[in-house]
Amino acid sequence: MKRTSAEYKSSIKPVWCAGCSEYSVLSSVQKVLAELDIPPEDIVVVSGIGCSGRFSHYLNAYSLHGTHGRALPISLGVKAARPDLTVLTVGGDGDGLGIGGGHISHAARKNVDLTYLMIDNRIYGLTKGQASPTTPLGAKTKTSPYGVYEDALAAIPIFLAYDVSFIARGNIGDVSEISELVTAAITHKGMSIVYIVSPCRTFPVEGFKETVESSEVVPADHDRTDRLKAMELAYSYSPLYTGIFYQIRKPTLGDRLRDDTDRAQAEAGGKEVTIEQILQSFA
Amino acid sequence: MGNTEFKSDVDFVVRIAGEGGEGIISCGELFAQAAARTEYHVFTYITYPAEVRGGFSMIQIRIRDWMIYSMGSTVDYLVVFSQQGYDRTIGSLGKGGTVIYDPDLVKIEEVPGATFHAVPFSKISGEAVGGQRGKNIVALGVLGHLFSMDRQVLEKLLQDRFGGKGGQATEINLKSLAVGYEAARQAAMGCRFHLSAPSSQKAVYMMLSGNEAIALGAIAAGCRFVAGYPITPATPIFETLTRLMPKVGGTAIQMEDEIASISACIGASFGGEKVLTPTSGPGLQLMGEQLTLAAMLELPLVIVNVQRGGPSTGLPTKTEQSDLKFAIYGTAGESPRAILAPSGVEDCFYQTLRAFTISEHFQMPVIILTDQSIGYRKATVRIPAVSNITVVDSSVPCEEIDLPSPDRIQTTNRLEPSSEELRGYKRFKDTDDGVSPIARPGTPGGQYLATGLEHTEAGRADYSPSTHVKMTRKRFRKLKALSKTLETNPPECYGPEDAQIGIIGWGSTEGAIREARYLAAEKGIPVRHLHPKVVSPLPNRQIEHFLSEMKQVLVVEENYTGQFAHFVKGLFGARPIEIHKYEGVPIAPEEILSAIEKVAGILDEEDISRV
Repeated sequence: MKRTSAEYKSSIKPVWCAGCSEYSVLSSVQKVLAELDIPPEDIVVVSGIGCSGRFSHYLNAYSLHGTHGRALPISLGVKAARPDLTVLTVGGDGDGLGIGGGHISHAARKNVDLTYLMIDNRIYGLTKGQASPTTPLGAKTKTSPYGVYEDALAAIPIFLAYDVSFIARGNIGDVSEISELVTAAITHKGMSIVYIVSPCRTFPVEGFKETVESSEVVPADHDRTDRLKAMELAYSYSPLYTGIFYQIRKPTLGDRLRDDTDRAQAEAGGKEVTIEQILQSFA
Repeated sequence: MGNTEFKSDVDFVVRIAGEGGEGIISCGELFAQAAARTEYHVFTYITYPAEVRGGFSMIQIRIRDWMIYSMGSTVDYLVVFSQQGYDRTIGSLGKGGTVIYDPDLVKIEEVPGATFHAVPFSKISGEAVGGQRGKNIVALGVLGHLFSMDRQVLEKLLQDRFGGKGGQATEINLKSLAVGYEAARQAAMGCRFHLSAPSSQKAVYMMLSGNEAIALGAIAAGCRFVAGYPITPATPIFETLTRLMPKVGGTAIQMEDEIASISACIGASFGGEKVLTPTSGPGLQLMGEQLTLAAMLELPLVIVNVQRGGPSTGLPTKTEQSDLKFAIYGTAGESPRAILAPSGVEDCFYQTLRAFTISEHFQMPVIILTDQSIGYRKATVRIPAVSNITVVDSSVPCEEIDLPSPDRIQTTNRLEPSSEELRGYKRFKDTDDGVSPIARPGTPGGQYLATGLEHTEAGRADYSPSTHVKMTRKRFRKLKALSKTLETNPPECYGPEDAQIGIIGWGSTEGAIREARYLAAEKGIPVRHLHPKVVSPLPNRQIEHFLSEMKQVLVVEENYTGQFAHFVKGLFGARPIEIHKYEGVPIAPEEILSAIEKVAGILDEEDISRV
């Protein structure tokens, strides 16, 4: 029997601000999971703190709503211990690029086979409007009453520099594109990031909506394995490109751990060593 | 009195001293390992220089026919490679001791009653293998002959360590060993101790550091996931597990910091694995927030804190017992956790097994609190009967699970929901002992939300007063159930029951206190000793009973503020005499003995005044 999105809805009714784009991302993910026919019990969703942290509450899966900034290393632990599960990591710009920013590079080095949905609203929305790492220079927020005096982080170039093996940007204005990107990301072997630009309605950041509205899909002839070309597209703000910037195949953490096990067990003829043998080796 | 285990026929100390980079430690460790293959107990103590090469370096090995509790005070056999090695250790030579030295490098002064053997290690090594790399193994050969060790035992060890026969390093070492034996034979060296291996081939003892014992305990407990970040002095646990985990089909991952390490462990525990992360005090500080997340999500998790001297970067390579209160109380909010403090190298193995039992059964974080002194010390540990490891059913109450011992090891797994319980599944169901079945991802119908927000039994976020009260009580009820379990365990109490002086210690001071108790007994002062292994929650009734039986109690610990004594005073209203040592080195039996003698003197006076 064909699965439906309804199977992926938890019993908790989503509560975000009226008209918030989180609703669209959630329903898009539920639709994709149904299409990919992944049983809810084989999905682990890990979220951080912030508006998108609530994502895990609303998805029917094994859901872990953790602390601020640690969704990625928690997800890594799940996937390393349980390669059989599909792991989704969800967080915002503050969670992923602020407090948890240090974890992306290391998850990328290991190429953990998970999909990270980073939903960027350029603001700390849940706590009612403080500046985030992606709030643009000069923007007035509750913690930058005279304008932000720091440069904003550019997320896609950072992911490219870290060599995350799948990098895409989605525009919340185009839900069908987001579904396509999430599908491609989940089916990608390795770490995938779908970075969704999603202006906050309650605490709007000047110019963000306009930038998003003027976005264009990356050129059809773009070679997704060309990191330098991808970097060039990533640094374009007008137009703001959406779609898949970069996708390569390299060993996942699971592959690497399997190889490590093979090397470790080679001495014992490719078999697991018993506890007794280990203890005897210390005698 | 039951003092026989302190008297022994074989009890001697060997020390090898010289410069860092001369292979002194590996020479000593090989000798100790070979000795461990005989029927004797071995205990080592190592001083590393701060530098990678150069600087004073020494290893001390005590060998005895009974359990050893300390490193020994004087040296019986001294092997010196350098002038500095000689100058800094000759003062420790005991009466009638033996010195073996390199006459080309060391100038000696005769010591009355001592025996001196000149063996030109450097020259012999140069002639035999064309360089200095063999000189520590020449010394090993000399020791082998001196103690009548079977050369094959040492050859086998060298092959194990440096690769099989035919390899260049192995060949050099085997040759060096042979010329070492020959040099000692020519010098007609011999002594009254014969360390010949028993005829049976199956080893009885392992030679382990406390850190290694923890790694092995984790594997025996069924832990198959480790994430960590290097930090002195806990790194050897992580190194050992990165080497062994893949061999047993487990996973060990080096993370970018301690926060990521504990996070990965939380993820893996959520996935259903038994997990461990090793660290030291500064790392535990970073883990604080995630520690409370594990408590809130009610996930099993074992953290090892090999304490070093603090605060801040403090004394990374030295020992201290100063993280007790931090381990118990550190972090925001109130959440249950248990703290275990192994008393020695062997106990590290068994307390690690116990930590997993408590953590898996009660679904809460457990911190194992050891320190640099037992982490790095090596000792002989009887190989436990691992073929007898049984996994008891997860529904068995914790108090019915045997404490792990060399003869019998029981482990347990977390409680999973039955198919009935999965209908309308409540992950955080409020039960009598607070323990609620935990669904493993992949189980159909077990999907649940685990949130760090306060939540209902079903896992739904809820900030209402009634939910917070109910769920706080539920979480702490597990701690109460654990306390009850502790009261049914045999008391960790030693010495004559009619003693008037009691000593309470925790963690690595156990050996020194025990030896001080034996020394006191020889002087006619009976002393009783309480040494709880679970230091939070405390076995309250056992401590109350102990305090009520003693006329005067001493609390011994290696910190400045008297952290354990604070509990003895605050929780039980006692007024103990506090012995604090915070020099970065372990407390010695003699230091405790002198306190016992003072107290005994005062008690005698009180008796007289009463008459």
